[in-house]
Amino acid sequence: MFTLIGRIVAALSMAGFVAALLRVRGTGGVPPQTEGWREVTGPDLR
Amino acid sequence: MRIAVLGLGASGSHVARQLGASDIDEILLYDADSARMRLVIGAMSGSAAARSGEPDGAGADIVILATPGGNHLAAAQQALANGAHVVSMSDDVSDVRSLLALDEQAAGRGLSVLVGCGFAPGLTCLLAVHAANLLDEVVEIAVAKAGTGGPECARHHHRAMKQDALDWIDGQWILRRGGSGRDLAWFPPPIGAHDCYRASLPSPLLLQRRFPEAGRIAARVTATRRDRFTKRLPMLRRPHADGGPGAVRVELRGRKNGVFETVVYAAMHHPSVASGTVAAVTALQLAGHGGRPPWPAGARGLAEVGDPLPILQELHGRGLRLATFQGLTWNA
Repeated sequence: MFTLIGRIVAALSMAGFVAALLRVRGTGGVPPQTEGWREVTGPDLR
Repeated sequence: MRIAVLGLGASGSHVARQLGASDIDEILLYDADSARMRLVIGAMSGSAAARSGEPDGAGADIVILATPGGNHLAAAQQALANGAHVVSMSDDVSDVRSLLALDEQAAGRGLSVLVGCGFAPGLTCLLAVHAANLLDEVVEIAVAKAGTGGPECARHHHRAMKQDALDWIDGQWILRRGGSGRDLAWFPPPIGAHDCYRASLPSPLLLQRRFPEAGRIAARVTATRRDRFTKRLPMLRRPHADGGPGAVRVELRGRKNGVFETVVYAAMHHPSVASGTVAAVTALQLAGHGGRPPWPAGARGLAEVGDPLPILQELHGRGLRLATFQGLTWNA
């Protein structure tokens, strides 16, 4: 019983460690927060 | 300058309205439904230039074909025989193919046949060329359309979903099943995100003539699950008098200074109004309004008329809202 719980705790700990590593070291960048559709006006059409 | 408009449905009546607000000597209007024709002429009472015309547009210098798609070839041939330029609004693939085949005949008479002059194709062709001018090399073009114009446009949308789509992939035409290829396209507000599917659409045919080097050209339309499920059945209910508001979206991927970039342009409006405005402005440019040099004789789509800016400027001035999506540049 203890072995099973120990394995679960170990697996969750490892998953948390990997997730934290990716969260800190990941290079995906931040998706655009301010960009989007912009209406084309007169100066864009010159 | 005399301009004839044949077909006064949802889009044709907007062509007439746009011409009525322009400096035209005479506008000849014809519709097989005489009551409809009287209604449109009556609504244009402020424009002294509008009067009823002949079924073949006889007497006009430019004939705008705004009748339902599928029968534009005969009308265009008659207009050419009468010595008139032709502006076709058809988005039917067979119409577009056969009208483009009139190139030699039109060139021989010193006349122009402008094909697919509506919302999509038409405005999409102009936006594609405008977007391509921002790139050194075009790799891929994706066109999407949301919304329909009048009842005939809705019926055509229904038919197009059950016919094969033409995709240009790596130098050859590939037939794809209509209703396949779901792609989530983001249109400007208030249209928003919609699933789009392949259908029998002429945009790739017209764009490939301008961008033969592109690796991939495809077009899709928005559709619901019910549209796809019932595509092989007759329409289950009468189409709306006007299926707007709608939008078109053109996405070009390519390279600029060695960096892979994506350029997205869109336009938002009721498709019937936008189509009518595009056809009217095209005819006015053909008539020499705006001071642009005359287009060479022959048959072509709006992607092949050179600089798209004069037409886009005029469309913008007539209330067509254009937009670009920013935030899509990355290194590859």
